[in-house]
Amino acid sequence: MTDTRLLHTVGVRAMEWLWAHRDGFRLEPEVDPEIGFLERFKPIGELALVCKVLFREGVAGSRQAELARRLLDHVWRETLDGGRMLVRGQRTEPISPIPFEVYLPFRELGYSRPEVEEAAVLNHRLHSWTAFETTPTRRLGLSAFQRRFGLDPRPPEGEALAATWLARTPEPWTVEGHIAYDVTHAVFHLTDWGESPEGLPPRLADYLAAWLPVWIDDWLDLRRWDLLGELLVVDACLPAPTLDGRAWAAFAAAQRADGAMPAVRETPAADGDELFDLVYHPTLVAAFASALATSRSLTALAQAS
Amino acid sequence: MKQSGTTALLQGAVQDLASSVVSDLHGGGHAPPADPAGGPGRDLELAAARVLGADLLMPALLHRAPLTQDRIGLVTGTLDAFPPRPQAAPTVLWSHWAMARAAGLIDVSGAAPEAPDAAWIDGVPWPFLTHQLAVLAPLALPGLECAVTRAARDRTLDVARGFVRAVRRRDWLQAAGAGRWLATLEKVPDTLGLGTGLDFVELMGGSDARVLLQVRAARLLGTGVLV
Repeated sequence: MTDTRLLHTVGVRAMEWLWAHRDGFRLEPEVDPEIGFLERFKPIGELALVCKVLFREGVAGSRQAELARRLLDHVWRETLDGGRMLVRGQRTEPISPIPFEVYLPFRELGYSRPEVEEAAVLNHRLHSWTAFETTPTRRLGLSAFQRRFGLDPRPPEGEALAATWLARTPEPWTVEGHIAYDVTHAVFHLTDWGESPEGLPPRLADYLAAWLPVWIDDWLDLRRWDLLGELLVVDACLPAPTLDGRAWAAFAAAQRADGAMPAVRETPAADGDELFDLVYHPTLVAAFASALATSRSLTALAQAS
Repeated sequence: MKQSGTTALLQGAVQDLASSVVSDLHGGGHAPPADPAGGPGRDLELAAARVLGADLLMPALLHRAPLTQDRIGLVTGTLDAFPPRPQAAPTVLWSHWAMARAAGLIDVSGAAPEAPDAAWIDGVPWPFLTHQLAVLAPLALPGLECAVTRAARDRTLDVARGFVRAVRRRDWLQAAGAGRWLATLEKVPDTLGLGTGLDFVELMGGSDARVLLQVRAARLLGTGVLV
């Protein structure tokens, strides 16, 4: 079990860095069509999901919560132009699910852009939306997002889950980095990003409780902080989180004083947008893991007293 | 890094000896060199025998395979040549004890001395537990109880985690040793995939005769054979 203050501090520092570098959440409207306008939406959607976790868990200090709210307002108003950029993205690539995926957490936080919703409802009726080829884990995520939006998931989440790596509980010694990311994301989708740990079927929770400690040990020693952070999120989603002391101490020590979390080993020698693109994700993950782990740690303290 | 001549010679002797035990486990046929002059020096042989420890006698324990005078001499010679110091590492004390016990069981020598203290393994983190157990894989023999086998049984899931860790880190010898322990334990999680895991360890690391020896022992023990 890790000191709650250490868990909390990682998230506070991460949010400070994200606020200070908020201009890194940017779109590139003039980008080469071969790359695609929608590519730069992903960080914004991830930011909204993590900020939602922060509000939901109620463990953020007043400064952290205020920064999260201001960050969301900033990207919604400035970067997404009040959601108009999502509409533009949708009109550029009409059946892409990306605008819908980015929009959903904003909608859940009270932001609104009706045109995106109209497109989502129409797309949901298209066979093409269900048929388009993607990884099983992302398919599970799309079904979960449809449910959260109020639509009948197509395919149903149980069916989508069955196709994932995790659902088949394969040999744990075969896990490589990309498989580990599939596992973490399957858990995110099943638990609505940690909101509903009971969404993880007991069979999968048992599997993860058995083998997650090995994976944490492994990627900790490899100093792959981005993946380690996601695995620490998974730990916090289990019925009995370990809040592994050694892993959390090393994770916190890897974070730079200004809050940036390197993806691998040390923070790269870069600055500006280049640095942002390299470290925004592990830093968001650090904020996410910190919020969930702090919440679980406080729950454990409350139950112990 | 270039190995010193002595180290390379010892490793070669260990490989030869491990190969002969593997062969004996499968019914024999790989006799030790007939001409002692053509084999490694006596000191090297004893040192190699010390590395393999009680596993030298595994074919005799499990199959009642006949022992050559040469092999008996190697075992008694090793026990005499390397008596552990009282303050030696626990794995050294236990390895020696395991060999003495095995020799006693098949009447090669007198009864084994009292088992060493096992407190060192209580409550250690699972990676260290697995490392120590893998070094002491010759103790993983169903039907032969000791404090180390009880420790392994009490922490089956931790040993399974150690197997996964060793495979992930490409430490085939540790993986094979942990796999052998797991083959003797009940309640190993099905999701571990121990059978294919052992096949994988053999495929990746089986060119090392010590790895092969542990994998073959694991498969044999997994069939329910008892000492």
